[in-house]
Amino acid sequence: METVKISDGIFLNVISTDKFKTNYLSINFITQLDKKTASLNALLPEVLVRGTQKHKDIPALKTALDDLYAASVEGKVFKRGDYQICGLNASWLADKYSIDGTRITEGTLDLFEEILFMPYTEDGHFSDTYVESEKNDLIDDIRALINNKNSYAVIRCKEEMCKNERGGISEYGDEESVRNITSEALYDAYQDLLRTSRIEVFYVGSGSKADIQARIEKMFAGKNRSYKAFEKSPVITEVGEVKNVTEKMSAAQGKLALGFRTGSVVGGEDYSAFPVFVEMFGNSPVSKLFMNVREKLSLCYYCRAIPDGIKGIMTVTAGIEVCNKEKTQNEILAQLDAVKNGDITDEELILSKKSLKNAYNELNDSPPALEGWYLTRRLSDLGDSHEKVCESFMKVTREDVIRVANKIKLDTVYFLEGTLSGEGDDDE
Amino acid sequence: MTMNNITVKKDEFLGESYTKICHKSGLDVYVFPKKLTTTFALFATKYGSIDNKFKVKGSEETIEVPNGIAHFLEHKLFDNEDGTDTFSRYAETGANANAFTSFDKTAYLFSCTENFEESLEILLDFVTKPYFTEKSVQKEQGIIGQEIKMGEDNPARCLFFNLLSAMYESHPVQISIAGTVDSIAKIDAELLYKCYNTFYNLHNMVLCVCGDVDCDTVISVCDRVLKQAEECDIKRVFDDEPNCVQKKRISAKMQIAKPLFEIGVKDNNIPKEPFERLKKATGMAVLNEMMFSKSSKIFNDLYNEGLITSNFDYGYSISESFAFLELSGEADDPETVYGRIKTYIEDQQKAGLDRKEFERAKKVVYADFIKIFDNTEEIAYELMSYLFEDCDLFDYARAVRVLGFDDVSKLLGEMFDDSFFAMSTVFPV
Repeated sequence: METVKISDGIFLNVISTDKFKTNYLSINFITQLDKKTASLNALLPEVLVRGTQKHKDIPALKTALDDLYAASVEGKVFKRGDYQICGLNASWLADKYSIDGTRITEGTLDLFEEILFMPYTEDGHFSDTYVESEKNDLIDDIRALINNKNSYAVIRCKEEMCKNERGGISEYGDEESVRNITSEALYDAYQDLLRTSRIEVFYVGSGSKADIQARIEKMFAGKNRSYKAFEKSPVITEVGEVKNVTEKMSAAQGKLALGFRTGSVVGGEDYSAFPVFVEMFGNSPVSKLFMNVREKLSLCYYCRAIPDGIKGIMTVTAGIEVCNKEKTQNEILAQLDAVKNGDITDEELILSKKSLKNAYNELNDSPPALEGWYLTRRLSDLGDSHEKVCESFMKVTREDVIRVANKIKLDTVYFLEGTLSGEGDDDE
Repeated sequence: MTMNNITVKKDEFLGESYTKICHKSGLDVYVFPKKLTTTFALFATKYGSIDNKFKVKGSEETIEVPNGIAHFLEHKLFDNEDGTDTFSRYAETGANANAFTSFDKTAYLFSCTENFEESLEILLDFVTKPYFTEKSVQKEQGIIGQEIKMGEDNPARCLFFNLLSAMYESHPVQISIAGTVDSIAKIDAELLYKCYNTFYNLHNMVLCVCGDVDCDTVISVCDRVLKQAEECDIKRVFDDEPNCVQKKRISAKMQIAKPLFEIGVKDNNIPKEPFERLKKATGMAVLNEMMFSKSSKIFNDLYNEGLITSNFDYGYSISESFAFLELSGEADDPETVYGRIKTYIEDQQKAGLDRKEFERAKKVVYADFIKIFDNTEEIAYELMSYLFEDCDLFDYARAVRVLGFDDVSKLLGEMFDDSFFAMSTVFPV
């Protein structure tokens, strides 16, 4: 991945390769999560893909994309640590697969630029109709988070744990803020984002770096910028009394989510050891959680650790019988203590490294995965390649893993208590 | 001993090719070279949740096995006689291993970026060496029990399986793939061996490898691990299935935000000849793109009127014994949406399709096909799916090319009889 500065706070990250049949371009507007802007930033990409000055509605845009051999340009919003990232992803077939001479790359880049900079407007702001329609859709998305109980438990755990931090704000904002958005306010937010946000563009595909750089520079030429690098939020490493939150819901299973402060952040000291720890503790089928909570005690189907390396937190989650909550929680904590106390073998260390190495090598085959990895690094202003970072994992020792494990503290226990206990749970 | 029979298939336009090796053991092996970092291997049997009634060799008696047994078997194959767990063996090579069971296949797979040969040896070895005990079966009942309950909490899954049970009277496609807590309680080691010995015959299986590998390496591992399979004689038993749906409506309640709907159109008109089935699949892909995509009148009308959310999906599935079209989304008033979609289809049938739209849709279907070839996992998966349907992956492009406007118009005319329609809904509690 090569990174070049396009303009103030705008960076282009490029991998030029002919190994794929599709090309990938993505733009990320990065801001600090803020209650005042979260919903605006979440809504914006969806309104942008509703129509442009030339292609005024969804059918017109979709037809234009289809003519480019089913090219896609989609809105996105997500969060990493205390940052909110919104933007557009595009992918399209390389020109050599065009049968009728359509210049797919040129056409898609033009359309991408059009969606980004020439949105459909009425009276100098976004269309009221589109804004209202997308507001309703966003509210539906926020409400629908409960539809997926597994992920909902993790979201709620983090929300409770990071209540007074930026990272506790949803990337969608909240229902009330969405409801209060006007098309004028959204247009202002859009202008603000273009002017002040940190912008990271990723391109993986055919063609030279110089060509794509020239094209991206042209997109941003003459655009006013007043970018101010944001201050990093402090990383919280201390915990008070463990917070316990239980919510009842009509579900067959209980979903347990334990939130930890890890004290390990991307780019911080000891960070090489943390991913090795996560792998060993709860991210592979030979991890301590999988081997014990699932295989030995048959308590669950899934039990895994999900780290957030920007915020220095980790969530461990499992779907279980409601009556097994204490037993599962105790076992997860016992496995963490085992690592803390050095109850790990050289074999476990070697296997964790092998598994990490494989995962890092596999990044090469997926443009979105590569982008995901490098974006985290860019947010922490780190420039090393994934190959080089992976090498650093290989040097991690047992002592390193034990040291990072000992920094981990339980902060919050969230339990989604399923109230539909079916037959067959009389085995306890 | 017989020799391995080797043939090469090419698609000049895609710039891709693969080699088929009829291995002397009886297994068909496919090697698809691809210069990417990740190599993907998939060892699969044509055996899934629908194969719950069958006859074993030399017997006329139909055996009926508990629901969910194919999936249970998939889990249990990971145990080995020497007490080792297959995941631990893979961990030594660094490979990322997994498995899945669908309606009509069970597949064991891994991806790796080094030590391919060692990982392939593990794959072929553990799948061909079953080892089940009553104790290990019991242990798995707890784990799969939780997998089943996780599924019960998934509204999209509930919506889908309810729809299948409304559409089908006897076909086992309506049975949940993992079974139920009760049905898996009936599974024991003996039953697992019976199913294994029937369906895990190399003649009923394929190995698909995609990545930066050569055939000789793959063949040498096959030579080392695989033993000559006995003749294969599988008789699957399916009861007759009526053309029309069993029930028009089915509904459930779950803790969700907005009602969900899934409209199913049952299709019992399944061509016997594999390429004809493939042609029908491409025809339906084009018709769906014309009728229900984001550029369609119906999506835009319903969305602009606030009757549905942006989550509106459609798809058509076809295999040897079942086929259906499905349309799903979120709506406060599913009945209104159902009525509007029905009226829209009737209007389209009267007005006829648009030739320009047909060309656009064909382009989309063709482009979506090319996009498969950027990912070793997808290639191996698609290769396997086509092979189990007695087709070839490259046939798809051929089927798209020969597809005519009249073929698609004909589908529009015959697919949508009112008696084929059913709708499943899930409402908030």
